[in-house]
Amino acid sequence: MKSRFIVTPILCTGCRTCELACSFTHAKDGKVGRSRIYPLNGGFKDLYVPVVCLQCEDPACVKSCLVDAIYFNENTGAYEINTEICVRCMACVAACPFGCSLFDTQQNLVIKCDLCGGDPVCAHFCPTKALTYKSIAV
Amino acid sequence: MVTVTINGKLVRAKEGEMLLAVLRREKIDIPALCHHEAVEPYGACRLCMVEITRKEWDGWKNMVTSCLYPVADGLIIQTHTTDLIELRKTILDLYLARCPNTPEIQDLAAQYGVMQTSYEQVADPNDCILCGLCTRICDRMGFSAISAVNRGHGREIAPPLKNAPPDCVGCLACALNCPTNYIKYTDIGHTREIWGRKFELLRDAKTGQLTITKEFAEYLSKHRVIPQDYFDLNDESHRKETALSLGKIAIWSREVPQ
Repeated sequence: MKSRFIVTPILCTGCRTCELACSFTHAKDGKVGRSRIYPLNGGFKDLYVPVVCLQCEDPACVKSCLVDAIYFNENTGAYEINTEICVRCMACVAACPFGCSLFDTQQNLVIKCDLCGGDPVCAHFCPTKALTYKSIAV
Repeated sequence: MVTVTINGKLVRAKEGEMLLAVLRREKIDIPALCHHEAVEPYGACRLCMVEITRKEWDGWKNMVTSCLYPVADGLIIQTHTTDLIELRKTILDLYLARCPNTPEIQDLAAQYGVMQTSYEQVADPNDCILCGLCTRICDRMGFSAISAVNRGHGREIAPPLKNAPPDCVGCLACALNCPTNYIKYTDIGHTREIWGRKFELLRDAKTGQLTITKEFAEYLSKHRVIPQDYFDLNDESHRKETALSLGKIAIWSREVPQ
């Protein structure tokens, strides 16, 4: 049994609680710009899509990293960045086709969703269950 | 697992790990300028020196660079003895003679109480401490565009024959990881200049924001099998595109009866 992070855009109301939850979890001052999840309006009325790292099977960020700083965490199923190895060449930021590898200009770090180490906080805070983290049969 | 003694405290460490990694994990403040996790340890800056001894050495001690010394069972490590602080002061004194106007070196020297060098300053000072971190990172990324040239007093970091480096892609990894900010680059308009070579910066097709250089994108698509059109947009526009395409699927799944 593997756990996956499941996004259901139809249920999203665009309340941006996930953005706040993410910012407060990963940055001390909780600035929304530090968030790894972006509930964006996809051009349709009343339809918001939480754009977050999809943890692809053959990710462009891992392929583009020239120093092997992005690795797969077997326990959580997330691709994580080792910020000590990262040389900030911005290859993964430019290469990700979903735009989910981000550059934090304040901390001078490349950041991406790491599923909070196996228990995503945004899924706990989502009021409409548009974001869930549950076990799925593989 | 091996057990070492650090400042009188027993600490467990993985076999083959370098001492500096263990010291950093134990939150012991060891200055190091040339250390980076992405590359092999090099031992150039000499600031991470620690004192090691063993029970069977009968009081004999040795000073080693902790970034290069693998942990072993029964090592007894001291990190801030009078000798070591004196040694670091001397090294920083020498650094100040070489780089008197570098804020990073001045700050570190001030922490150890060295405000001014006691040696003769070099005639033409610059910010480079010749730690070789930029060349090692460049080698690790697979470009090898720059390296240390000449010997002795004339040693410096330079591209081949001091011309515009043909292998450089303008990724800025050397400049951003330089411990003393010696490597300078300029981003003017859509042109980036580093090591005397000009690069064209790619622009986002929608908003016109700048991303990486054209050469870097070409290298990534050629050697790392990433489609070239991934580089047409920056991360913000990519997110909007994702929201649009996932929104289409959501609308479609809502209209189609289950």
